[in-house]
Amino acid sequence: MSSRRFLVRAALFLSALAACAQQQNPLTGNRDAIEAGKGMFRIYCSPCHGLGAQGGRAPDLTTGQFSAGSSDAALFAVVSGGVAGTEMPGYSSRFDADGIWRILAYLRTISGKPAAPIDGDPAEGGKLFWGKAACGSCHRIGPRGGRLGPVLTSIGRMRSASYLREALLDPGARLTPGYNTVTVVNRDGSTIVGVEKSFDAFSATIMDSSERFHSFLAAEVRSIQRETRSLMPPTRLPARDLNHLLAFLVSLRGAE
Amino acid sequence: MKKILLLLPCLVHAQDSEWLTYGLNHAGWRYAELNQIDTANVARLSPAWIFQTGINGKFETTPIVRDGLMYITAPTNHAFALDLLSGRPIWHYAKPIPKGVNLCCGQVNRGFAIRGDTLYKVNLESTLVAIDAKTGQQLWESQIDDVKLGYSATVAPLIVNDMVVIGIAGAEFGSRDFIDAYDAETGKRRWRFYTVPAPGEPGSETWTGDAWKRGGGSTWITGTYDPDLNLIYWGTGNPGPDLDGSVRPGDNLYTCSLLALDASTGKRKWHFQFTPHDVHDWDSTSDPVLIDIDHRGTKRKAVVMANRNGFYYALDRADGKLLAVKSYTKVTWADSIDPETGKPNLVAGQEPTEEGNKSCPGMGGGHNWQATAYSPKTDLYYFTSTDGCAIYFKYAQDYVEGLWYQASTVGTIPTEPAQGSIIAVKPATGDIAWRYPLVSPPSAGLLATSGGLVFGGDREGYLFALDAVTGKVLWKFQTGGTVIAPPITYSFRGKQYVAVAAGSAMLAFALPSQ
Repeated sequence: MSSRRFLVRAALFLSALAACAQQQNPLTGNRDAIEAGKGMFRIYCSPCHGLGAQGGRAPDLTTGQFSAGSSDAALFAVVSGGVAGTEMPGYSSRFDADGIWRILAYLRTISGKPAAPIDGDPAEGGKLFWGKAACGSCHRIGPRGGRLGPVLTSIGRMRSASYLREALLDPGARLTPGYNTVTVVNRDGSTIVGVEKSFDAFSATIMDSSERFHSFLAAEVRSIQRETRSLMPPTRLPARDLNHLLAFLVSLRGAE
Repeated sequence: MKKILLLLPCLVHAQDSEWLTYGLNHAGWRYAELNQIDTANVARLSPAWIFQTGINGKFETTPIVRDGLMYITAPTNHAFALDLLSGRPIWHYAKPIPKGVNLCCGQVNRGFAIRGDTLYKVNLESTLVAIDAKTGQQLWESQIDDVKLGYSATVAPLIVNDMVVIGIAGAEFGSRDFIDAYDAETGKRRWRFYTVPAPGEPGSETWTGDAWKRGGGSTWITGTYDPDLNLIYWGTGNPGPDLDGSVRPGDNLYTCSLLALDASTGKRKWHFQFTPHDVHDWDSTSDPVLIDIDHRGTKRKAVVMANRNGFYYALDRADGKLLAVKSYTKVTWADSIDPETGKPNLVAGQEPTEEGNKSCPGMGGGHNWQATAYSPKTDLYYFTSTDGCAIYFKYAQDYVEGLWYQASTVGTIPTEPAQGSIIAVKPATGDIAWRYPLVSPPSAGLLATSGGLVFGGDREGYLFALDAVTGKVLWKFQTGGTVIAPPITYSFRGKQYVAVAAGSAMLAFALPSQ
């Protein structure tokens, strides 16, 4: 088969997958599908969504509320194609439609518990973010803020509240991939510390605290050290303020 | 016309060296007697050509190189023949993947086997196909087993005399796995050896109830062959389900083992189980490499394996007796291996739990499937290792025919990311000669040459050459895609090439012409 014909067939296959997404889950309530879906969820989804889907680096899926919509078709589309602009990848090349329906059949058995409200005021949290807590000096929301740390425009969709709380109190506990700390010692002994932007056996690119990129070849410097720690200091706020800040972060849901 | 035809063989250079089987020789050495590229000039190695397959997925192929062409398999049931001079495609084989094929680890394939003018490959839907090397036309197709039972196929076949020997995958789907031999001419099955015995067969006493029916023991990496002993050596994978051992009490033979099978009959000559009653998914499918070693002053025919469980083993390949064993990475599940019985002295509290339990190495090992290399020149055995730990979870999962049956999962430890390394050991003892650190867990296999080099690759996209004696890096090239496949080498028209699949491209390198 020529590559072009293959691409045409691949496009037809994807269209067929999309057509499936219009349907309702044919496996809802199917015991075997739920059992297999639970196994698949643990392997593929739990690393980000948590073992019981309670959330982590990715959203809590037990609340029955989903950013992309709660219909079978909407959820199928999310698992199949991923969510652009987030860390959620698409699984259409890994699972066939039945595989995705199995995961969703399992998900329906654990969904429906409302999210625990956060005892905080998002407006107060916003003031802290841009003011006393100085989060905005390194983090960006929309067009405003710093660029050394992760962009937080949609962080309320992307992370669970419990993850965000932990990240505020102990930023290095579950570091977002790609945000390691890299220390480079030049041949003259001078040192530069920054956030990892690219790292391999022979080179490194970092961003320093003034948001400048620096690129290094390992052969041309004395040492390059990569550490699994965050440059962000732990948040030291009274419990009430911490809850405000958390409520603000949870409210950040990007352009929906 | 006849004159032209007679002249054609002259174009094949007298010293041309081909790559005709997965491990380069039947012993699985991946060592080439080619030294045009050596430690002194490798720094000048440059791309000769790049072929973009246009096929997405993990590209794991070991190419076959013969008679001016390179034959490569790509993900998702694709394959190509390439011209060795230009890298241009000669033909393209593709087969749609039918519905219902369940795969643990991607729509991958690890390469062709060749015999005469016929190529052999497995397709994902658990079939073995014969393909005409000149045209890419399919000659015959044999169904290996039923995908509805969880079977799939990714292995590079091994030619043994007039047979095509293959392994199977499926242990994450409750399959009962096997090693098969097929008639190379007809595709008819000659023999099958089930890696999990049925009730009444030897080894069945190591299973309880009907757990054997879903016992796993996949055979997804190509074995090796000793023509003198007429034995095929083939590693086996995890028992099923992977992480919940409570449903399968016993040692679970012949999972996580090395099997020595009579090539003519497929009957078991001996077995060695590395990890009895495995609950960490430590397949023993790594290359079983045949090396003659000096064992306490006596020459012994050995088979060596860097096992996923963290230990390197050398066994007598005539009878399976343990000759040497040594850990090569952090191991917490066993204190040591009994030198007489070969059984691990287990450390308590290392099993998966509902809440999660840390153990080392992680689920992928240790050394995983990435091809290894042995250089008789340095007498060093080279392999990759993931150095780290994992949190192992289990739960009671009901079996559903043909669907995921792993009975939970692993978690990483965010503050302890796994590292990677390439390790050179003395094959007789497992003593480490050097260790080359990788910045992330290994992805690519290895190649050794008589030019004193070991070629490898990494997840970040580099193909590199190391000094085979010291492990010092001498050359590197950023391929632009993760290197998952092992590099190979060959000579064509008097020039040595190094080739590797990276990203979705095939790349060939040579020294610049003078």
